[in-house]
Amino acid sequence: MIDLVNEILATLRHNKLRTALTGFAVSWGIFLLIVLLSLSRGLVNGMDSMFSKRDTESITVEGGWAHKPYKGLTDDRRIQLKERDVNLLTNRNANVVANVVPDISSDTATISTGKDYATGGFKGVYPSGLKSDGATMLEGRFINDNDVRLTRRVMVLHKDNAKNLFGDKSPVGKLVKMNDLSFTVIGVFSHEWNTKSYIPYSTARNLTGGGDDIKKLTVSVHGMSTTEEGTQAEKDFYTTLGKEHQFDPSDESALWIWNRFNQHLTQSSAMGALGVAVWVIGLLTMLSGIVGVSNIMFVSVRERTHEIGVRRAIGARPLSILKQIILESVAITTLFGYIGIVMGVALSQLIDFIATKANAEFIQNPTVDLGVALQVTLVLVIAGALAGLFPALKSLKIKPVEALRDE
Amino acid sequence: MIIDLKDINKSYPGVVPLHVLKDVNLQIEKGELVSIMGASGSGKSTLLNILGILDNYDSGEYHLDGVLIKNLTENKAADLRNYMIGFVFQSFNLIGYKNALENVALPLFYRGISRKKRNALAMEQLERMGLADRANHLPSEMSGGQKQRVAIARALITNPSILLADEPTGALDSKTSKEVMQVFRDLNAEGRTIVIVTHDPGVGEQTNRIIRISDGRIVTPPTDIR
Repeated sequence: MIDLVNEILATLRHNKLRTALTGFAVSWGIFLLIVLLSLSRGLVNGMDSMFSKRDTESITVEGGWAHKPYKGLTDDRRIQLKERDVNLLTNRNANVVANVVPDISSDTATISTGKDYATGGFKGVYPSGLKSDGATMLEGRFINDNDVRLTRRVMVLHKDNAKNLFGDKSPVGKLVKMNDLSFTVIGVFSHEWNTKSYIPYSTARNLTGGGDDIKKLTVSVHGMSTTEEGTQAEKDFYTTLGKEHQFDPSDESALWIWNRFNQHLTQSSAMGALGVAVWVIGLLTMLSGIVGVSNIMFVSVRERTHEIGVRRAIGARPLSILKQIILESVAITTLFGYIGIVMGVALSQLIDFIATKANAEFIQNPTVDLGVALQVTLVLVIAGALAGLFPALKSLKIKPVEALRDE
Repeated sequence: MIIDLKDINKSYPGVVPLHVLKDVNLQIEKGELVSIMGASGSGKSTLLNILGILDNYDSGEYHLDGVLIKNLTENKAADLRNYMIGFVFQSFNLIGYKNALENVALPLFYRGISRKKRNALAMEQLERMGLADRANHLPSEMSGGQKQRVAIARALITNPSILLADEPTGALDSKTSKEVMQVFRDLNAEGRTIVIVTHDPGVGEQTNRIIRISDGRIVTPPTDIR
């Protein structure tokens, strides 16, 4: 075995330029495969982490404008959701609706301390609001059931606002003013883009005048697994609310619905397809490298016809020639393939470093794991063997006497 | 009898099939130094290829050292070549990127002999050829005569039953030719059976018996010229 390796190394050394050129094609193919794999991995990681921060099992419903005439009513009517819609949606669509949370919010309310103030508005929530908004608690606690039941004036601040108002000191337990009312800060949360302060739903309802108008409903769904079911749930909402608010259930503009459930499903399947596409592109790229190796091995066999003839004349069995050529091909592919892997991993680490520095959310941890490295290695060995097989078979057809004549 | 050919026929297929060997009968005894002479196209190279198990024949029988050489598998033929035959070629046929020692040791590689042992044996052969100081030289760094002596060392390392030489002096000047022929004569004196194919009468004269071949037939009955 060691002898065989030495034989192969000797021939590779003998043809340095040829070996290097072929090797470059393989390295390049593998390099691209690794970079593509790690980038797609990074994208999938990024998407996953963005989704996991949001509630993927929810559908948001807002009132819109009815554009179709219905039962004698004219078009262009504003649809105003009411508090009773919460129970309607829950009861009539009990098979898919887990619960419905109304949303009252203000974009303009100013929160102030004696010295400083912060804008960003507020949002009235139930305890479930933390999860459905995809926020994370940094300090203190979120709104609880008692806060809502007792209409407490408590507030959870976004970390940026907390910093503006209180600097590096902990705001928990401090008092702030909003709409001339005092609120006690009970916690600090973090969210990518939503900086509205959270207050109990009941408190928010009182702040906005205590009417039963609702801007937005967040419907938590359960028991669904396909986009068809998700779309059906949407239709059911149109039917339920259409009866209540007198609009045509097929009038899509009457409600503004954000179906996060379907969106998530679509995006996950797109991510899956991306993974497959990357492998296909990568393998096809590699294929050109492999064809290159095969081509070079053909040339090598042709060039060495004479040498092969000499070897056969002095007693080399056909199998040992076959083995040598195939192993030579495998050696070229794996050796240069590994160079490609190393370069690819290095580049993906660089991308990771830059993405982390730039705080890019959409791409996270763009690296390939050991499993992928093993798969790629396996692909390399098989590809190398295939690339060598046909030239090797050709070399066997060479009769020693013809090979010796070839000078 | 080390070589025994009975009614060997060989033709190459083609639009007009070429009948190159016609009922060739030939016996060579152990320890002989024989030359096969003929013009180009006479069939002498084909005869040598058959003797060297590099080519097949169509009919007849060929016994080499008592073994019938007929319808062999590629593997069997390779093994017989390795164990029974040593080749010396006109153009030396050394492997260019291997040094003298590695070239000489190569036949033993295909026998599965360890590197250490075959390098020791190869060194022994090179010493016999007076080339011990060239062991690490590549063929391109050696003269024609040195290359041919390396090739002879390679042919001898397997201790073969016969040494087959195809125009061994064809690429050498007259002085070196003489040296190489002297090597063959010395080997023959040690008891080696040697068959040399040549068209050079000067070479033929230095062998113990000349077999003349013309138009695929052995023309003169093999007689002892000495």
